[in-house]
Amino acid sequence: MTKKWLAALLTGSMILGCVTGCGNSTNNATVSGDTANAGQASAAGESSGSTQTAAGKDAIRIVNGKIEIDEALKAYAKLYQEKTGQEVVIESMGGGVDINGALKGYLASGNMPDIFVFGGEGDYQTWKDHMVDLDGEKWAADTDFGFKDENGKTVGFPYAVEGYGITYNKDILDKAGIDPKTLTNAAAYKEAFETIDRMKEELGLVAVCSVAAESGQMYWSTGNHIFGWYLSAGLDRNDHSLINQLKAGELAEERLGEFAAFFELLCQYSDPNTLISGTYDDQLAQWAQGKTAFITQGNWIDPSLSTYGVTFDCGIAPLAFMSQDTTGVLADCPSWWAVYREGKNIDAAKAFLNELALSEDGQKCLVTECGAISPYKSCTIEPELPLARCLKGFVDAGNTYSWQWTKMPEGIAMNATGLVFSLYAKGEISKEQFVTMFKTAVADYVAQ
Amino acid sequence: MERVTKRVVSIVLLIAGAVLAITALYMDITGSVNAVRGNLLIFGVILLLFGLYLIPTANHRNIINFLFLFPLMITFAITVLLPFVLGIFYSMTDWTGITFTKFVGLDNYIQMFKKADYLYSLVITFIYTVLNMIAVNITAFTLALLCTSRVKGKDFYRAAFFVPNLIGGLVLGYVWQFIFNKVLVSLFAGSMSMLADANLAFAAILIVGTWQYAGYIMMIYVTGLQGVPKDVLEASCVDGANQWRTLTKIKMPMIANTFTVCIFLTLVNSFKQFDLNLAITNGAPSRILGERVVNATEFLALNIYNTAISKNQYAMGQTKAVVFFIILAIVSLTQVSISKKREVEM
Repeated sequence: MTKKWLAALLTGSMILGCVTGCGNSTNNATVSGDTANAGQASAAGESSGSTQTAAGKDAIRIVNGKIEIDEALKAYAKLYQEKTGQEVVIESMGGGVDINGALKGYLASGNMPDIFVFGGEGDYQTWKDHMVDLDGEKWAADTDFGFKDENGKTVGFPYAVEGYGITYNKDILDKAGIDPKTLTNAAAYKEAFETIDRMKEELGLVAVCSVAAESGQMYWSTGNHIFGWYLSAGLDRNDHSLINQLKAGELAEERLGEFAAFFELLCQYSDPNTLISGTYDDQLAQWAQGKTAFITQGNWIDPSLSTYGVTFDCGIAPLAFMSQDTTGVLADCPSWWAVYREGKNIDAAKAFLNELALSEDGQKCLVTECGAISPYKSCTIEPELPLARCLKGFVDAGNTYSWQWTKMPEGIAMNATGLVFSLYAKGEISKEQFVTMFKTAVADYVAQ
Repeated sequence: MERVTKRVVSIVLLIAGAVLAITALYMDITGSVNAVRGNLLIFGVILLLFGLYLIPTANHRNIINFLFLFPLMITFAITVLLPFVLGIFYSMTDWTGITFTKFVGLDNYIQMFKKADYLYSLVITFIYTVLNMIAVNITAFTLALLCTSRVKGKDFYRAAFFVPNLIGGLVLGYVWQFIFNKVLVSLFAGSMSMLADANLAFAAILIVGTWQYAGYIMMIYVTGLQGVPKDVLEASCVDGANQWRTLTKIKMPMIANTFTVCIFLTLVNSFKQFDLNLAITNGAPSRILGERVVNATEFLALNIYNTAISKNQYAMGQTKAVVFFIILAIVSLTQVSISKKREVEM
């Protein structure tokens, strides 16, 4: 009988050990106060230590979607803690991580961060029930770039402005005698391309432009960025006519035709290998090594330029595909931060955002350390990198168009429009076919 | 008397355990943030188990069996069965990955088969599966014959052929993408990358898939070939059978069960191809179907992934995954039952 009891006791304690082990790892943030089991409590205390400040105030947790600015943000978080005693934990995701998927996992497991990143209209629809209204915040009045909901209330915190058009190598343009300021319509580009093409050997170029239109990896460049010009070029920042039309499955044929003609021009003067099978790195390397004069990327290539030892001057010109002049560039926030509505530290999170947006240290972090442009009007710190400086000129002059493409149905570039671009770039379809196929692709995609 | 106390104790424990567990579950469902609910559930379950152990019954042995299986069963249920059932459930809703608002029945299943991209993926995945299965098995069997013959340095070959299988599919995929996009293009000056043409890109995945997997399958064939009894081979030799005859009439029938295993493995693996597909082409290039354009090399697994992740249609992705499972189950079960009939009993 005693033997039996002993066996039962042993089995029981084994199961207990097993089950409580699991139990604690899921609840470690809350178990730390429980001193019933000293060993477990200290282990739990350690792991939850990162989310608790010495003063007992909960740390704010931020999920950041730009891995490039991780270090800068962490440095600022440290500074902020020294100043206010409020700990801020930065968790950066990027480099192909599916941020939405990760956040959905966090939500399901009750581990949502206090501040999380979202990338535009599609993400907003997914997450809108979990966002705090930030309309009354001080920074909201200081920027044009906040993400606004249907009622015009600010819900997204802008932390950087990015912009693009056609980025040029100023040295090459100078040698060819082209003034980038004149590149404001399709005819001017055609002439410039022809001039540079004639002087290719003299300038040491392999092609005039670096464009990458492969559909598996570069769909975002063609289907989102370049196509973004069709949706926004020459229009007021609040003009949503073309994007609304696209969401209904329709496109303005004449405008699309002009756009197609210009894209064909770009392809015609591009290096064929980079065009049809090149990656982002190939495209960038080619341009940064001075082998081409133009590249269809924006100011986000700034930080990479030093790795290629770029010494030439560069700037951004409008991707002016129309016959009439377009003088601005597409500039907007690539993503915003939202405050989690069910979070416990909403006020602390709001205070942190205000400080980051409006204090000098915060602005220095966003502009100098992250190498971006501040979306805030009161910011006085000048960017140091060449493309950011050039872009700031456009932003300050109010000469920008918005990124309407972020409001397109999710995945349309990767699964529909990017494919048409790649066929067109390879020359498998004509301009007329491009227009029809593009329309079919959009209509089909919207219909599902 | 002891029976009665035991019964009382067991009933008390069972009731206490049930109450605790139900309270904990109730707290969880009502969204209570009380931190003790996890511990409450664990204690409840433990009390239930003890109560179960103490029930005085003739079936005590069965209860013990159950108690010992319980930890594994519950793990299996939570990690495999529950997600599977939930998956089927979600495929009938408009789930977004966060919540669902309505139950749509079989609508997702009907919609799915109306999509050109899905049907196309289905077709090329079948083509790929068949071609890859043939290519891998022929290559692997040939290599296995080489490695079991009297050729010099066969141990080295064996290791060398196996190495590609040790490298992760994504790494391999990117390495080969570089080879197709850069190395081959500069070797044959003026040529276009293989990955830019719809059919050649398909062939490229096939080549890499075979290259990666043939070494592994070869190992299984080698083991099979080494297991062929020497006396049978000697007897055939004495009877004057030549190499070819020995191979087709003795070796191959003797290792029929190895063929079953290998064909099954390659079949399932080719059908589930994801990492190479993602790394080498990610669906590109495009193929024209009438007025429509589809991803030329988007296999089913990648199609499911893109549906859920890039299109953010989690319910539809889940639906495709359920169908994926059904097809896979049917194909493999059929294949196994056919091959089993042809095996030779030793």
